[in-house]
Amino acid sequence: MNCGEARELLSAYLDGELAPDRRQRVHEHLDACDACSRELAALKGLTEDLNMMRFREPEDAELQRYWAGVYNRLERSVGWVLFSAGAILLLCYGAFHLIEAIVEDPAIDLAVKVGACALVFGSIVLLVSILRERLTVRRADRYSKEVQR
Amino acid sequence: MDETEAALIRRCQAGDKEAFEPIVRRYAGAACGAAYVRLGCHDEALDASQEAFVRAWRHIKRFDTHAPFFPWYAAILRNVCIGRLRHRARRRTVSLPDDHRDPSSDGDPVLLAERSERRDRIWRALLRLTPDHREIILMAHFQGMAYREMADALGIPIGTVMSRLHNARQALRERLSEGES
Repeated sequence: MNCGEARELLSAYLDGELAPDRRQRVHEHLDACDACSRELAALKGLTEDLNMMRFREPEDAELQRYWAGVYNRLERSVGWVLFSAGAILLLCYGAFHLIEAIVEDPAIDLAVKVGACALVFGSIVLLVSILRERLTVRRADRYSKEVQR
Repeated sequence: MDETEAALIRRCQAGDKEAFEPIVRRYAGAACGAAYVRLGCHDEALDASQEAFVRAWRHIKRFDTHAPFFPWYAAILRNVCIGRLRHRARRRTVSLPDDHRDPSSDGDPVLLAERSERRDRIWRALLRLTPDHREIILMAHFQGMAYREMADALGIPIGTVMSRLHNARQALRERLSEGES
């Protein structure tokens, strides 16, 4: 094993992640090579520092605000689902009755009837298209899925 | 996972929101820190970590109580952060100055426990690494993940984990020596 090969494996050697035979070969190289041993010592110092670093625990008041933020979102997410479902339902109902009233009213010009129908059907096509795009992206994107464990 | 946490998760799975509070409190610090290393903005890290807890709650019924909670949550948080970074990259096309924020520009190590001059310098150097290098150091050192766990989480071969972590540590040493000179 030369120095280049050994240095590539130093991190894994330090972390105890090398297979026994590779570990032995790195070990033998280190016994014979002062430069790589110094490299290992420097890397070990940094690794030990990193291993000692931790994120601090927030204070109680911070945690209280943090939890309140999470809790509010949990409640609001239910509210948004209900609000959206209700709004879609009412809009569909309203659009259906609007079209029905316009189409059946003989006083309204044909052009207005066609325009109103085009507007409503166009909105439906756009909504379906956006939903389909969202679903396609979601299926193809591994980062949009939650982890199942 | 200890018995208390498993019991709390089971209550969460039954719909008890109060049982989620001690879990959120236990991991809030680690969650904010991990999000900060990825996003480089304190407010956004706070927001992303809270959003990840909300997503975890929504999918809590799928969670296997025999497994530890934090690695599962950390994977959700990673996805949230990646989504935000992508959104930020898209918005860059319209040049919003705040979205160009780099972690190194806001690298106050207030999120660290047991600070020292050396650790503060390492933290600032860490935040100047590339996103891939920051992430692998976060996983290996702050989250204590083994190579196999990192490979699974990142969807890369274990040999790539080995070389990426080594390169990240070397890059960190270089950043530190730049700071010293």
